[in-house]
Amino acid sequence: MNSLLLHELKRIVGPEGLTTDRTRRQAYECDGLALVRKVPDLVLAPLDTAQASECMRLLKKEGLPVIPRGAGTGLAGGATPHEGGVVFKTSRMRRVLEVNERDRFARVEAGVVNVDLTSACSHHGLHYAPDPSSQQACTIGGNVANNSGGPHCFRYGATTRSILGLTVITADGEVLELGGPEPDPEGLDLVGCFVGCEGMLGVATEVSCRLIPTPETTETLLALFPSLDGACEAVTELIAANLEPSAIEILDRLTIEAVEASVLAAGYPDEADAVLLIDIDGLFEEVHGTARDVEEIARSHGAFDVRTATDAKDRARLWAGRKGAFGAMGRIAPDLYVADVVVPRTRLKEVVLATTEICKARGLKLSNVFHAGDGNLHPNISYDRRDEEEVARVLDAGTEIMKKCVAVGGSLSGEHGIGLEKRDEMHRVFSEADLDAMLRVRAAWDPDERMNPGKAIPVRGCMEVKTKPLPVPAGGGRS
Amino acid sequence: MEPQTLIDYTRSLDCIHCGLCLRTCPTYQLTGAEPSSPRGRIHLMRAVAEGDIEPDASFAEEMDFCLLCRHCESVCPSGVEYGALMEHTRAGLAPKTLTGRVVKSLGFKLLESRLMLRLMAGALRLFQLTRLDRLLAPLLGERGSALSKLPPVGPAYERRLLPKESPAEGAQPVALLEGCVMPELLGEVNRATVRVLNDAGHAVSVPSAQPTCCGSLHAHNGELERARALARETIAAFESSGDMPVVTNSAGCGSHMKEYANLFSEEPEWRERAERFSARVRDLSEVLNPQVSPKESSRTVQEPITYDDPCHLCHGQGVRGEPRALLDATGLERVELQESESCCGSAGIYSALRPKDAERILEGKLEALRSSGARTLVTANPGCQLQWQAGVKDAGLEVEVLHLAELLDKTSER
Repeated sequence: MNSLLLHELKRIVGPEGLTTDRTRRQAYECDGLALVRKVPDLVLAPLDTAQASECMRLLKKEGLPVIPRGAGTGLAGGATPHEGGVVFKTSRMRRVLEVNERDRFARVEAGVVNVDLTSACSHHGLHYAPDPSSQQACTIGGNVANNSGGPHCFRYGATTRSILGLTVITADGEVLELGGPEPDPEGLDLVGCFVGCEGMLGVATEVSCRLIPTPETTETLLALFPSLDGACEAVTELIAANLEPSAIEILDRLTIEAVEASVLAAGYPDEADAVLLIDIDGLFEEVHGTARDVEEIARSHGAFDVRTATDAKDRARLWAGRKGAFGAMGRIAPDLYVADVVVPRTRLKEVVLATTEICKARGLKLSNVFHAGDGNLHPNISYDRRDEEEVARVLDAGTEIMKKCVAVGGSLSGEHGIGLEKRDEMHRVFSEADLDAMLRVRAAWDPDERMNPGKAIPVRGCMEVKTKPLPVPAGGGRS
Repeated sequence: MEPQTLIDYTRSLDCIHCGLCLRTCPTYQLTGAEPSSPRGRIHLMRAVAEGDIEPDASFAEEMDFCLLCRHCESVCPSGVEYGALMEHTRAGLAPKTLTGRVVKSLGFKLLESRLMLRLMAGALRLFQLTRLDRLLAPLLGERGSALSKLPPVGPAYERRLLPKESPAEGAQPVALLEGCVMPELLGEVNRATVRVLNDAGHAVSVPSAQPTCCGSLHAHNGELERARALARETIAAFESSGDMPVVTNSAGCGSHMKEYANLFSEEPEWRERAERFSARVRDLSEVLNPQVSPKESSRTVQEPITYDDPCHLCHGQGVRGEPRALLDATGLERVELQESESCCGSAGIYSALRPKDAERILEGKLEALRSSGARTLVTANPGCQLQWQAGVKDAGLEVEVLHLAELLDKTSER
């Protein structure tokens, strides 16, 4: 890399904001999807918007690809480095700039960890609703880029519902103010356009987030089922009955075992083959009424026990177990393929059954833990990335699962984004014209396609790529 | 050193790269840098083992930067044994320079000899009295600042060792680990420990054969051979006291002694003896019974009080409730300290080896102490106590730093 450029960048961000040595760069070769890896040429970590903008201008001059990164907890390879690229990370921008409890918003830098935003406003009786399972580590900026979800998005919506305004650095270093703390600014909804852009339209450096009052009452139910089928059917009926809990999650047997063996053991019972974890919040009367209805439906679908969390501590434990489930699967195998598909909630049972068959036929170890209320499945396949043959079977199963979901009217991604993992499946859902339209939007922001190149939108003009599952070369995937 | 012996490869595969550890890591909090996080360090270890990178100076620096506080283990759903991984890697990373090697081995030799510790403490007292330490500190460069932060060393009388037997009746007799630095710099904590144990009816014996150091500092810093030798001596010394609990007032020693068996994976006989010994080890707070502690509040303790969890007590031993229950039984007003489970920067000898980093890590803790409004801070580990004392003094806070034993001793009526 050009030494004059390095010198200039260092002048802007200081020695702590720049990683050039080969050994340390190795740590950035992947995000939460460790299957695909590429060591970046440089890692840049500006401290604020001004530094970020100045850096981006220099990178533009050199025409270098830029890969935005938050905490690197993404599961679809959205932050996987690109050949010759610069990882541009927000993890040093982590000031909470303003908490306005009267207008119910907070302005934070993009690197603030999701859970720290809620801690910063909880003493006002407020919280930030989107709660991805990785909320202990993931950043608000990363959540914006992926339009992240989380269990409680069933009631409160994914990240886009909670973002009011953004400060964005474009590919040429321009600073844009989109939207603002007040709801409904005039003009095109560019905030809506940016949220979920997976780093292809720019890098958000500051975010204005909507805060909502913490509900008066929250009740957490744990319904125990003798089978996964029964749990799925119960969810289908809960939705049809217009019940509105704030979160509806399913954990299967293998997931329960892994969580219970971990430091996050939540007391999930070992006699159940599947559990439904449900949060109901609101006013006292409403919550208890809904809880009774939920219990009735659960029992009518075979639940042999429905337990209620006794206090806040008990609730926190049940949720910590759920949110650590992905990590707990490290007890089964060194790697986990977390699929992230969405299906109509009337088809839950059918698709879960199909995923089981798909994995069984390929001799793969499948576990299920998912946002059932949203129809957002996470079939998790345990594997070892050092075993090339097993990796091929996993990717094949992933493709088959996506095909099935699309066939029943679902979609490719609930909350993790498309990234690299699902990029080449996009043509299953979108026509050539759709994909062209996406490219035109992108070109309006970044005509040179330097921002997170090669992600989310398939490389076209070459029919071959569409039929290949993932660009994993021989030798364990290091490209 | 071959990558295979430098890295505990099998253990490194337990990490599934989820990142839930990131926010708990003090060095990631400081830098926001992936290679300075637990996940990043394990990733680098695995890359060394798989031949993608060399264990070069940058690699060694990232391993060295870690405090080994093990906060990451407390949140790791996958059960990665990070402490063991790091100790293994450090054992393989010898200091690069000759002076580095000499300083390191001399330092650890010092810890193993009571006579040497005595002489050092005496010399330090002389320097402090003549204020020569202020002159000397700058000559030692960055590490000199650690010297000037040490508390005043008391006269020889205050540094006397504990009596071999301190009789009492009514509760189970215990054997006590005297510790290496404890008698020299915090002798009063040891005496307070014996008094509160006696008050609760525990006779206290201090086996004279125990080595000066339990070996925990050696193990954390990669001196595994010496750590094994010291563990053998410690186990043998306490085997003479039958089945009685082995009590320590140092969280670092307790955590290490409870995991002695890890040192002897290839020596079944010692492994078994280590397991028997470890089953007897108790932190002071695990032995005392809150119900029988005196309830009278004492005017000599400024309220409110707060408790800072030593890493090797909460993360290393899972002991969180017991010290709090003992404190609450005194009737003193107690407030919780924000992020009490995050490291204060002491981390064994880390604060002496990397004083600047230790200071930056303590800054956040001092801020939490300020906003807690506490007037007394209680800890349960000598390193943390020294670190907090120095930090509170530098920051000009009017907060007294006490060991749990001292606080319980102050509030008991005699």
